[in-house]
Amino acid sequence: MNMEKLAKGKRKITLNQSLLLVFVIIGLIIIATIVNPRFIRVGNLVNILQQISVLGIIASGVGMLLIAGQIDISVGSQVSLMGIIMALIIEKSTKIPPTAANAWMSAWAEPFAVIVTILLGAFLGLFTGFVVIKSKASSFIVTLALGSVYKGIALLISKGASFSLFGNFELLGRGQLFNGMPVSILFLVLVVALTYVLLKYTRYGRFLYSIGGNRKAAFVSGINTTMVTMRGFITVGLLNALAALILISRVGTALATTADAYSLDALAAIVVGGVSITGGKGTAMSVFLGVLLIGLVGNALVVMNINPYLRGVAIGAIIIISVTFGEMSETKR
Amino acid sequence: MDSKPILQAMQICKRYPGVQALDGVDFELKKGEIHALVGQNGAGKSTLVEIIAGSIPFDSGEIFIDGEKCMNLDPSKAIEFGVQTVHQENQLVEEISVAENIFLYNLPRTKYGFVNLSHCIQEADKLLETLGIEVKSGEKVSELTFVEKKLISIAKAFSHQAKILILDEPTASLDESGKKVLFDLIKRYSKLGLSTIYISHHLNEIFEICERVTVFKDGKLVSTKYIADTDIHSVVHEMIGKSSDKLYSRSKRKSVDTIKESILQFNGFSRQNVVRDVSFSIHAGEIYGLAGLVGSGRTELANLIFGIDKKESGTILLDGQDITPNHPFDAIKKGFGFLTEDRKDSGLVLMHPIKDNISLVDLVKKGQAPSFLNLKKETLDTQEMSKSLDVKTPTILQRVVNLSGGNQQKVVLAKWLFAKSNIIIFDEPTVGIDVGSKSEIYKLINTLAAEGKFIIIISSDNPELVSVCDRVGIMRFGQLVKELEGDQISEEQILKYTLGVNEAQAQGL
Repeated sequence: MNMEKLAKGKRKITLNQSLLLVFVIIGLIIIATIVNPRFIRVGNLVNILQQISVLGIIASGVGMLLIAGQIDISVGSQVSLMGIIMALIIEKSTKIPPTAANAWMSAWAEPFAVIVTILLGAFLGLFTGFVVIKSKASSFIVTLALGSVYKGIALLISKGASFSLFGNFELLGRGQLFNGMPVSILFLVLVVALTYVLLKYTRYGRFLYSIGGNRKAAFVSGINTTMVTMRGFITVGLLNALAALILISRVGTALATTADAYSLDALAAIVVGGVSITGGKGTAMSVFLGVLLIGLVGNALVVMNINPYLRGVAIGAIIIISVTFGEMSETKR
Repeated sequence: MDSKPILQAMQICKRYPGVQALDGVDFELKKGEIHALVGQNGAGKSTLVEIIAGSIPFDSGEIFIDGEKCMNLDPSKAIEFGVQTVHQENQLVEEISVAENIFLYNLPRTKYGFVNLSHCIQEADKLLETLGIEVKSGEKVSELTFVEKKLISIAKAFSHQAKILILDEPTASLDESGKKVLFDLIKRYSKLGLSTIYISHHLNEIFEICERVTVFKDGKLVSTKYIADTDIHSVVHEMIGKSSDKLYSRSKRKSVDTIKESILQFNGFSRQNVVRDVSFSIHAGEIYGLAGLVGSGRTELANLIFGIDKKESGTILLDGQDITPNHPFDAIKKGFGFLTEDRKDSGLVLMHPIKDNISLVDLVKKGQAPSFLNLKKETLDTQEMSKSLDVKTPTILQRVVNLSGGNQQKVVLAKWLFAKSNIIIFDEPTVGIDVGSKSEIYKLINTLAAEGKFIIIISSDNPELVSVCDRVGIMRFGQLVKELEGDQISEEQILKYTLGVNEAQAQGL
């Protein structure tokens, strides 16, 4: 048997849900374009990608974790909390009237905020992973609880008010390269590409799949399942930090509820993309396609002049349809 | 005592795919007798009692209970007919009271339709008192000891006006006092007319309390005899029967002295009371079998050796050098391989392709640092491995779940060989595997031994041990009680030590 034949066999196995998703996305683009030709303009497409960049970065991490069989629905609250702390640092250090004595403060505010956010991301991931592993309870329940904790802390710190960047720190969220290419898209592409490589071409990626596919078999095969899972949670925390930086940079202010919706949107995108909710199955590409679909639906509704509040209904329907289809193609096999 | 039969099963046949589980069995249970069913694993005794209890349908034959023909038997009908089963495993609901468990299917109610708990506890206490079981029925089941749980399971069976009581390995994990309570209970009630079907591997118990014994072999009823007219040896003999055609036998059984000098010593393995001070040694190229009943501590020993469970003591020396693993990763690095008892549960990632399953341990062995895979080389190498074990599949990208049991087992073996394991433990290597694949797996094991690997086979299939192993160690209650080698290895000898017949003899039974 030669490699060519092998490759063919592989294609037959991995298509299905991803292929369906591509068709749905193309179909949606065609319909939206027919209704309103402005949809297909480069400006709008760039806009869509910019809108999904935060969700895409968060979903890449959560997707990797789900492949290893763990759900993290505290991500939205993690991002909100980091956003609050980052904005707090920038607001406090730039609001003071600049004098010679404290000029260094405003100069160092942004790098300091970035470093704190990244460290906090790593810590939140580590802590979440630690609690999930030590409690031995379902990660869904544990992260539901932790999400509530993180959000509570964000509210305590902000006392319900918002913090503003006062026009500082705009590069990540609003900056552009080469006349119109948003910086955030660059990060999205980078994260998706790295996730793709990690999952497909590294040993660590293979371990994630094995643990999600059969935790016991992975353990008997010598994989340090605790360690691998822990690293997964830390990766999610770090990606959340990046997402928080981009999100707050784009919005310009931070509230304790800014990123609430991302927990479920990320999970929705991943599941729509075809990552198995029990783990062991899915790719970086499928996560990205799921994110893209969710971004397109929101934008297409606006562009087609349909009530944008329909978005939730549409996304819910898409999740149910894609999961049903995934289940069907699974049982047929 | 010669009384009317309470149960008559005539010409019962039951076929599972690939195996005739029961083949024209005529079985009769008299009123008030304690009747033992014995036979090796898969002989058909469990199938028969499950049919009587209505848990599984039968293909042909007739069953009469108290002279009445039972049609379309199901569990609830069987209970109406007065059949009660006490299973080997605990089937109580842990989080509710003893009383509620006892009356679970028939809870007393108040006139408003709510459960009448106080009445329930009263009735249960009354029942427990007549049975002589000292447990308060208001207690939660989860707070009881193991023995108490067993006794409650039995009490539950008594709550339904049972005429026929089926006990499946009732004394498994009961201590002496628990056994005594149980035996007294059964004896007392059989005098009052209760008929009991008693399944046990412990032949000395059977000779202690049963009136008749029926031997099964390969789905057929071999004989039914009064205990007084037989002895342990003839029962063992009947369980083994004429030796059937051997599936496979080693071409040449090596004597220990001619085997290469490299030696692997297992010293003093212990964990709680499950494994007790087990020591043995294997030479390179030797196939060492571990026989014993389910629960005798063999799998538990393997888990200790491989570092899956924490051991209290135990070291492994390879030519004098300590290679005791502390956890699976350590074991793998030191050249151990473990084909677990349940390949679907802990051997394979079923939804992943053959390729990924084969390469997994090797990837782990190379270290856990994130580094890149050579997918092309992996594909070619795993394909070669798969081919060398003759895994039957069109492509190694096939998901393992789609393979037959025999081919799945080959994939698990391939996984360990791909990682160049040198010490390989097979736990029940041929369970659920068809005859053709079985002999292929035996051949593979033999080839591995010929290459100088250390092989341990845990098996409950005694003919398998006889035909494949160079030496057989027999475990009983967590201890290694005997080692057989060369011509000593026979089904009869293995079975006798497995069942503790020799001990029973020593006690004068």
